[in-house]
This record gives sequence, structure tokens and C-alpha cells, in this order.
Amino acid sequence: MEFSFILNGKRVVCDISDNQTLLDLLRDSLGVTSVKKGCEQGECGACTVLLDGEPVTSCLVLARRIEGREVTTVEGLVDDPKMKSLREAFLEEGAVQCGYCTPGMLLSAYSLIRSNLDPTEAQVKKAIEGNLCRCTGYVKIIEAIIHAAKKLKSE
Amino acid sequence: MEYANILQDLLKRDEYLIVGKKVARTDALDKVLGRALFTADYVPKGTMVVKVVRSLQPHALIRKIDYKEALKIPGVIRVITASDIPGENQIGYALPDQPFLNDAKVHYVGDPLALVCASDEYSASEAVDAIKVEYNALPSHLTVDSALASDAIPIHDGGNIAVKTRIRKGDVAKGFKESTVEVEETYETPYQEHMYLETEAAYAIPEGSDKVTVIGTMQSPFLVREKVAKILGWSLSQVRIIQALTGGAFGKKDDMGPLVCAEAALAAVLVGKPAARIYDRDESVAYTPKRFPARFRYRSGADSEGKLKAIEVEITLECGAYANRSPFWLWRQTAHAAGPYYVPNAAIDGKAVYTNKVYGGSFRGFGDLAMQFAAESQMDRLAEKINIDPIEFRLKNILKTGLTTTCDQLLDHSVGIEECLRRVAEASNWSKYVPCKEGSRVRGLGVGCAYHGISTSRGTPDWSACSLILNQDGTFTYRTGICELGQGSPIGHAKIVSEIVGAPLDFIHVELPDTSSTPDAKPTHGSRGLMLGGTAAADAALKLRDNMLKVAAEMLECREDEVELKGGEAFERGTPSNKISFSELAEELYARGISPASYGFYASPKRYFDPETGLGVNYSVYTFAASVAEVEVDLETGETTVLKVWPAMDVGKAIDPLMIEGQIEGAVSQGIGFALMENLILEDGVVLNPFFKDYIIPSALDTPEIAKPILVEKPYKHSAFGAKGVGEPAIISIVPAIVNAIHNATGIRFNTLPITAERLYDAIRRSRQ
Ligand code: FES
Ligand code: FES
Repeated sequence: MEFSFILNGKRVVCDISDNQTLLDLLRDSLGVTSVKKGCEQGECGACTVLLDGEPVTSCLVLARRIEGREVTTVEGLVDDPKMKSLREAFLEEGAVQCGYCTPGMLLSAYSLIRSNLDPTEAQVKKAIEGNLCRCTGYVKIIEAIIHAAKKLKSE
Repeated sequence: MEYANILQDLLKRDEYLIVGKKVARTDALDKVLGRALFTADYVPKGTMVVKVVRSLQPHALIRKIDYKEALKIPGVIRVITASDIPGENQIGYALPDQPFLNDAKVHYVGDPLALVCASDEYSASEAVDAIKVEYNALPSHLTVDSALASDAIPIHDGGNIAVKTRIRKGDVAKGFKESTVEVEETYETPYQEHMYLETEAAYAIPEGSDKVTVIGTMQSPFLVREKVAKILGWSLSQVRIIQALTGGAFGKKDDMGPLVCAEAALAAVLVGKPAARIYDRDESVAYTPKRFPARFRYRSGADSEGKLKAIEVEITLECGAYANRSPFWLWRQTAHAAGPYYVPNAAIDGKAVYTNKVYGGSFRGFGDLAMQFAAESQMDRLAEKINIDPIEFRLKNILKTGLTTTCDQLLDHSVGIEECLRRVAEASNWSKYVPCKEGSRVRGLGVGCAYHGISTSRGTPDWSACSLILNQDGTFTYRTGICELGQGSPIGHAKIVSEIVGAPLDFIHVELPDTSSTPDAKPTHGSRGLMLGGTAAADAALKLRDNMLKVAAEMLECREDEVELKGGEAFERGTPSNKISFSELAEELYARGISPASYGFYASPKRYFDPETGLGVNYSVYTFAASVAEVEVDLETGETTVLKVWPAMDVGKAIDPLMIEGQIEGAVSQGIGFALMENLILEDGVVLNPFFKDYIIPSALDTPEIAKPILVEKPYKHSAFGAKGVGEPAIISIVPAIVNAIHNATGIRFNTLPITAERLYDAIRRSRQ
């Protein structure tokens, strides 16, 4: 089945099978390797992407449902000032260890600070609740997101 | 060789430029850009898929494995069973008790029987289901008591006890006679699953007819090479192993690296095509090694002054189906049984027992975590009996320079536990704290101490190696077999190199471990990655620095001891305008045929150990830690929230404080999971909760406030800059701190983990009746 959608701002036409997930489409067919596979059950958040701007776990989304819709991954936000600020904060605060959860985490954080440049700690925790990280204990991730938002706000 | 002093002296610096500073990780950039490649990211579309056929029985003789039907499924390429293995069908770590593919007997639900190779996931899964295995069921042992019963049938030849340990120090009978208070309790700790985000993965590429390259998740590339070569019946040089960036490991990938890579390699070699082997989440949880469950009978006595007089500990470790790391795990528990305290008399006995369940393996804190939960619960109980403050009681017995461990090892330097304990007490305002109650919520404070021997136990020699090359453009290529697993050891090595050769950190490129070019650094486990590996890095850097100084002195026309290497330049101290860049210097080294490369090597000091008494110099050095935790318990629901944690650690020297903080915070989270949440449920040997949705690990919502970790620096004489390992000790003290805080809040003491809301709720109800 041939269909098309918008990936990181560009229209993509591709072939999909009926029960293919968005995660498999991105990773296997389109080579978008920043989207990680951690459980295929919608529970770990490693496969988070933005679908029409909202974070979703791509392992639970059937590829055929995204016809014409917009999918964003960290690759698509390389030059985005908000993502840039998040990236810098993650590096400076030491919010990255193994890095497997990082792309998904960044996207959930991005979605939060896009609408809220003054998030409370509780709001940040809520926003990344679905993104599990086994390495960092979340402390530096939470700090990094708050700092990135503060910095963006003061600019 | 006293490395810490030599370096200080050599570098002629009051303050280090990079070591000890918070520096953003240069290796994390690709990770935030989404460009970091993990094993599965290397696998091209259409690669042959490998899956494992597993036993559905906990204990049975195999009558027949019938895969005729499976081969008829379109897409199925081959089924591999034990008889196809060209080399030795054995993957056991400590003992040769673990066949790579079973053909005679199965020992747990999940034991591997065959490999299926197929063109895609779907046909591979179908084939796995189509393979029929006929068994003759045997009675299974699902508890250690059943396995130890006199009429138990042996799970492996030689009986159900895999290994025993023993320590005898002083005279225990006398010690108990001198005691005025005594406590005896039995503690139990459960399995814990690692739940790293990236499951086990390997991608194997055959080259010609007699070579194979495997890219995979692992902690010890050279161990992986050894096991893969053995199964293929090949020489080490025919096998090339590359460690890809690894998405969390925590010990298990040390066990799983050899397995997953051998599964991919065997399929690739026998079929003659590249092969990908990636574990599903439920497979990873249900069938691969966990933290070993254990039971501790613990008796301790103290006199009226509050001095520990004697301990008597009996450890029963459950191996599960295979011994795997149990001898090492059990030794660690045996050696650390007393906690970081001086005890004149000790009798400690351990045994590791086979059962027909998923087997245990390496996990952060390696045995010590469970042991310190028992030891530190005893300490609190004793303090209560003597009616003395728990911290005061600990301080009366705390290990100090000049005292001996339970193994009678004299600690002659680098013992910072007293300072850790005093400082967390102060930071948490311990002496002023009053447990409080608000509505149905009660709060309490608890303390935990820990010590953890770094690297190998029982005086086993340990060493590490690496290589460093100065490239013509003045940059450096650094190679170590120590793996990047998220903990950042290799980048820690780069900092050490950077400090010594005077190059900015981004001049130093750390290559991924590749057995075809990387020197063997031995495994990335035992918190040895930075201490041993980093000291080898210092050795390589010092050797290369010598050559650089020699040539630079001639180029600058000054004496060698007048040359300063800094910021990627060599200049004359006092006349900084007389300078050359590292690229000019490098070219001159190449032109003169003076080696621009060096090989670093480090062996830990010689130790001795008597296996009969368990006495000797067990570990070369110990890292010490103390934590205070404040918890809140809701008496109506039994729910515990960890509110705040104050951690302290004696790290020798903090090479990178930011990374140590990250290790501590991650450990706190895993410790909260182990103490309160993580509960693997087995029924008839089957794991019932192999997914994130029912094996709950902490999420961001469970994150407590963590006070800035207190880093105590009591340098270790024999490592670069005095650093000691930090990855594991971080988790050990936090668990007893939480358990003791729950007692402080509720008056209820738990001898079994995890303290789930359900269990606590039941206990509260019982205590009210
Ligand atoms: S892989 Fe999608 S949530 Fe885990
Ligand atoms: S950094 Fe490893 S899972 Fe988050």
C-alpha cells in the first residue's frame, strides 16, 4: 500500500504493510534511527515522536493512520531554537548517560516548553512521566528542562 | 608506584585543568542530536533474523526437538541445534554447567534449545512456535529449600550446591559471650531485573569462510570474543568483536554480551549470511539473568558500650538454573557481610544453590546491595536495643585507617566512611529530626552505610591496558577495551589523558572498543572501568608525554623540564611566546621516527588471600558511601514516597563531579525501585510480569529531591589521580537508608524486599490489631 505523510517538514511517499507500526516504518523503511525501540508496548517512551505536534509512542501508532499527517523527530528539529536550547542544557547539566532514552525524552520536553516557558518541577515530571530512563534517575533531566525553559524565556 | 603523587609532581600543578572539573561530555553530542548509533541501528533492512527456541518446562529431559514443520514455513532459512555447533557447546561463566544450546536436559523455563534463522521477524516467530519439543518431565525445585532437601534430585551433576564460602576471624563464641545485646534475624531479597532501555542485540557479519565480525551490546569485548570463538571452534584472531554504544548495562550485558553475540555469530557463520539477533522486551525480562535472590540469617552482638563484638552470618544464595557469577557474587557478600564496621570476631558461611528458575547474574552493587540491607538493618536493631542513636552507634564501630575488615585486611589509607557519615548526618540535620505525622501521613529518617571492594575479589590479579596515538594533526586517538555504557568511563579516561598530555578534551578521540585494534582492558564491571582503565590511560599518556617533551625541548631549544604542554601547544615555561602547536610537534615526532604512540598498562598491587579461612587482602581498595533518606508513608494506603536523599561517597578523587553525581542519582532511582517497587513474579518457574506495565520501575514522578552529593576525597595511592570506582557503591547505601526510614516513620521493620504499598498496608493493619 502506497501512502504519504510529512516527515520533518518533507513529504514522504512510501510503501507500507497493513499492520506496520509507525516505529517500524520510521526505523526500518526510512532509516530514522533516532527513534528507539524499547518495548513495543507503548510503555517506555523510547519511540516517542511528535504527531501533528503532540508526543505519541510510535510503536502503538499504525503507519496507515498517519496518511497526510505530520511526524517530527529530533532530526527535524536540529535548527529549532527551542530544541537547541534543550540540547545544550542536556549536555551542560549531564542529563545524558547511555542516551537511549534521550531523543524521546527531548521530544516530550520540547512539547512541554513549546507551550510553557515557565514550567514547575511537577509539570516537567508530568511531561516526561511516560519516558523511562534507567540511567540518570531523572534529576539532571528535570533540571536541564527547567534551565532550558528559563534561558529561552529570558532571551 | 604511588600514582596520585607522581602525577601531581610531574604536572607541577597546584590545580588540575580538567580533572576534578565539571566538563560537558564530548561524547554526548551525537546522543542529543539523535545520531548516536546503537547495535540495532547498524542492521540493514532485510538482514536475516535469528530467534531462540526456549524450554517451556522448568526441569525435564529432552526426548526430541522436531523442527521439520518449521522448515516448511516460507522465509525460514535454517534451524540450528546443539549438534550443529562446530566448537564447544558451553557458555558457563564460572563453572562449565551451561550449554549454549541444550540437547539433553532443560534447567529452567526459557532454557535455549535451538536457533531459528529466517528472512524476517514474522516467519522467525512462526517457526519458533512450530518447533515441537518432547520432554520427560522431572520434579522441579522452585525454592532453595526444595533444592536443598535430602531427597532433592540434582539439577546439575555434583548436586544442588554450586559453591560454598567461609570466613573465620577471631573467636565468635567468645565475642557473643562478651556481648550484652544480641539480635538475630533472617532477611530475604528478591530478583531484580535490570530493565535497561535497550534490549540485548548483536549483528554478525561473516567474512570469507573463516572470519566473523560481531557488533553488539556488551561490557567485555574480549570475554565475548573468547566465548564466540569457543562456540565456533575458532581461534581468537578469527573473531572480531565491536562494542556499539550500549543503551544501559548495569551488569547484565556482561552476562548477555557473550550470549547474544554468539547467537548471531553462529547463525551468520553456519548460514553464511549476516545475521541480526535482537531480544524482545519480554524475552529479556523473563529469560535472562537477574539480581540473585538471597537469604541471610544474621546474628550480631554488641557490648554495653556499643561496640560490635561478633557476627555470625549464613548466606543462602539462589543461583537459579546456572552458577553463572554466583561464586563471585557470594564471595562479595561473604567478604562484605559486616558492613563498613570493625568486628573482631566473625563467622560467615555461604552457599549458592541451584533451582529451576531463571538464573542470576551481574547487577550493579553485585551481592553487596542485598548484604548491606541485612547488615544495616541489624545495625539499626542493635542501636535500638542498646538505646543509642543509630548514627552514633555506627560511628563507634566505623572502619578507619588502621583497622581491619572482616577478612582481616588492614586498611592503611583511603578510608573515608567516617567523614561520609558525619557529613550526611550534618547535612540532613539528623540530630534535630523529629518524625512527624500529618493526617494519615507519617514521615521518618533513616541512614545506610556501605563499602564496596573495587575490581576483582580474593586477591585475584587485575590489570588493564590501552593505547594512545598522537596523530599528525595534533589530535589523539585513544583506545580502551573499557566500554561506554552510559557511565562515561572512557570519557573519564580521555580527561585523564587530556590532563597529562596537555590537550583540550576535544583533541582526544575515544574509539569504540574493537578487539581487532583495541588492547584488552578486561571487563567493564566491578566499578573498575575508571580506576583500572583510567590508570592504564595515565600510563599511556605519561609515556607519550615523555616523547613529546623530548622533541619539544629540542624544537624550542630549551630544557625538557622547562617545557609546558597545555591547550594543545608546547611552550617554554616563562617564555610562552616560544611555542609550537601539537600538529607541528606531531609531525616532528613522525619525521624523526620517535614513537607517536604508546601502550598503557596497569596492574593492581599484589595481594594474598587464604581460601580456607577467607582472610587476606581481598580487594585492593574500597569505595565508601553513606546516605540519609527521608520518607513519607501513607498509613491509609501503605504507599511510601521517598522525599529527600542526602548521599555521600568517598570516591578517592572526583575525576568528574558531574558524572559522579549522575551515577549517584541513577543509583538512587534504581535503589528506590529495589526497595519499594520492583517485584518479579514467578509461578511454576514462569515469569508473569515481563513488561514495563507490570514490572514497575521508577518514573520521573518517583524522583525524590536529591541533595548535592557530598564527595569525600581520600585518594587511593595506586590509581591515576587517586580515583576509586563509583558506579556500584552508589546504589548500596540507599536501600538500607530507605528501609530504616520506613521503620523510623511507622515503627515497622521489613526483613523482605520490596516494601510495596500492599505489603506495607498489610503490615500496618496487622500492627494495629
Ligand atoms: S518502544 Fe514504544 S513505548 Fe517502548
Ligand atoms: S540515559 Fe540511559 S536510559 Fe536514559
